Amino acid sequence: MATASKPQTGMKSAEKEELLRIEGISKIYDGTVKAVDDVSLTVYKGEIFGLLGGSGCGKSTLLRMLAGFEAPTKGKIYLAEQDITNLPAYQRPINMMFQSYALFPHLSVWENIAFGLKRDGMPKDQIAERVEKMLGLVQLTKFAPRKPHQLSGGQQQRVALARSLAKRPQLLLLDEPLGALDKKLRETTQLELVNIIEQVGVTCVLVTHDQEEAMTMASRIAVMSEGYFLQVGDPDTVYEMPNSRKVADFIGNVNMFEGVIEEDEPDHVTVRSLECIHYVGHGISGHAGMQVGVALRPEKVMLSKRKPKGDYNWAEGEVIEIVYFGAHTTYHLKLASGMVLKAQEINSTRDLSCGLTWGDKAYAHWSNEAMVVLTQ
Amino acid sequence: MAQSKNTFLNFFSGRKLIIGVPYVWFISLAAIPLLIVLKISLSTMETASVSNMVDWSKGWPSLTLNFSSYQFIASDALYVKTYLSSIKYALITTIICLAIGYPFAYFMARAPKHIQPTLLMLIMLPFWTSFLLRIYAWKTLLVNNGIINNALISLGVMSEPIAMMNTPFSLTIGMVYSYLPFMILPLYANLSKLDIRYLEAAADLGTSPLKTFWLVTVPLSKAGIIAGSMLVFIPSIGEYVIPELLGGSNTLMIGRVLWDEFFSNNDWPMASAVAIVMILLILVPMALLNKYQSDQASDKAGA
Ligand SMILES: Nc1ncnc2c1ncn2[C@@H]1O[C@H](COP(=O)(O)OP(=O)(O)OP(=O)(O)O)[C@@H](O)[C@H]1O
Ligand SMILES: [Mg+2]
Repeated sequence: MATASKPQTGMKSAEKEELLRIEGISKIYDGTVKAVDDVSLTVYKGEIFGLLGGSGCGKSTLLRMLAGFEAPTKGKIYLAEQDITNLPAYQRPINMMFQSYALFPHLSVWENIAFGLKRDGMPKDQIAERVEKMLGLVQLTKFAPRKPHQLSGGQQQRVALARSLAKRPQLLLLDEPLGALDKKLRETTQLELVNIIEQVGVTCVLVTHDQEEAMTMASRIAVMSEGYFLQVGDPDTVYEMPNSRKVADFIGNVNMFEGVIEEDEPDHVTVRSLECIHYVGHGISGHAGMQVGVALRPEKVMLSKRKPKGDYNWAEGEVIEIVYFGAHTTYHLKLASGMVLKAQEINSTRDLSCGLTWGDKAYAHWSNEAMVVLTQ
Repeated sequence: MAQSKNTFLNFFSGRKLIIGVPYVWFISLAAIPLLIVLKISLSTMETASVSNMVDWSKGWPSLTLNFSSYQFIASDALYVKTYLSSIKYALITTIICLAIGYPFAYFMARAPKHIQPTLLMLIMLPFWTSFLLRIYAWKTLLVNNGIINNALISLGVMSEPIAMMNTPFSLTIGMVYSYLPFMILPLYANLSKLDIRYLEAAADLGTSPLKTFWLVTVPLSKAGIIAGSMLVFIPSIGEYVIPELLGGSNTLMIGRVLWDEFFSNNDWPMASAVAIVMILLILVPMALLNKYQSDQASDKAGA
């Protein structure tokens, strides 16, 4: 069944069975607004696929086309090898959990969850059984007779999840499932949500603009911008090896140097930037004289008071800010060029940075493998 | 002393004054007149005037109550029949208005945003001409040699005119025509606020558009349906002008009885009693509406 048409970036096993395939899908609103621009994607059975991107980049539009609420301007959608592009929403074996939950206000929690089952003409006793099971799954059994507005935000969120899972959809769509919750509740709910999804074993497409959420919940992510995918891969790969400045910038914190390739060898390259000369311990697809970006994650930068040996991969600066986060501390180093370099130190090893404080002179250094050279 | 002066000032301070204005309005223009009508309905023909309201003959104020008008209403089958008939026409009018008004309001609410104000304008357009004139215009349409009958005969659909004027049909048409906007406006206000995501959620859960309408749209617009129905039903019961102009003598409505008691028989106690009973009839649906609304409100408050 698995068609190995796409480069299966980050797949743990190439044996995975394809569930959803999107081919060159586009959505143009009012003839001019390109909300989704020629997107292709394959989602495999059992995975949680994260769609990540800034506000207005087209995530919801893409999801709504999958649910059947918007008709694509161009392109095809296949679910289990079946073309569903023109199937109306109410005939698709796909359920969606809405950003704002959209629980029916005139129905109780129990009736909300049973709503979709009743439409399928399921026998009454089976409906009751299934609803009870879903209520148990989201731990809301004793809230069954309540109306949605009598529940807290987190409880409503769980009802919405139970409702969208009750029909055992082949594909579950989640649009910012935790968007309405506060930060602390989000973090616990993320794991809870993943747990429930894995228990049920449903394939998910999850939309979020929060990169941490995508990283913790999804097994594979796509970074979206202006309607198209910048990069698709598992969270580690996207974080460690972003393929463009935009992705590096969007996912996590990054120090970005702008420079020119000086040496371009198969086993290494050097890039000269205003701040320092970068020695990158692997070859890249570029050429000498090329303008590139060098991305360096703050947690890969080390600090010391003594000048590092060698000519590469270090810079001198003044500590202008120390931000304490509990588990780690971020130092802001102002370099001679004016650039502010961020270095993140784990707090248990903080003594390694020699008790730096505001106004101190310090050297930042990093290894040959710490950087990613970005050509676009 | 200072204390009481303060409360006096407080009473006239902005907030209380603003809250007080509607009360003053209500008491002087609704409650007191209503009490006067109630008192007159409990008087005899001779004592039925505002100056005779309170009896001073014994040297102190006293009220003499006379229930003969009410007894008469209860004993005369014609009154009971007229009340029932009024309720019947009001109900028919309400149901037809709802049946026509709901789809009307629905499509108005779903129309492109930029043409909605125009549609709303069109609904209110009839109010620009006099109500009497519009009802009278129906006469020219419905009479035996009116526009409709003439057109049908000249088209050869039939040879004899259909008697439409002065029938329950002409009455109902006039009532529906006049009260339709009062059904459409609250329904439109309600339906245009209906969150489209509920409809999407229903579709997502496998509900066909028609089922979604009955299972989601209608229940969620219940408040609009109730408001519209009240706005049509309540004034319909006491309607006088339309039955007078379009209903003829065989359509019984309480508004005309009221008129006759006041202006033909000059029997103020009787007329007032008829009016009071009508108010009681209207109070029942009003109370139901009130209960529904306060239920809604306490539901919300519990959130
Ligand atoms: N119905 C519509 N008509 C016209 N343009 C639309 C419509 N819906 C969305 N758009 C536009 O399409 C683009 C993508 O919108 P979309 O809702 O998919 O963004 P998003 O990625 O979900 O953003 P957010 O994170 O803010 O929810 C936006 O520029 C938006 O203005
Ligand atoms: Mg969105």
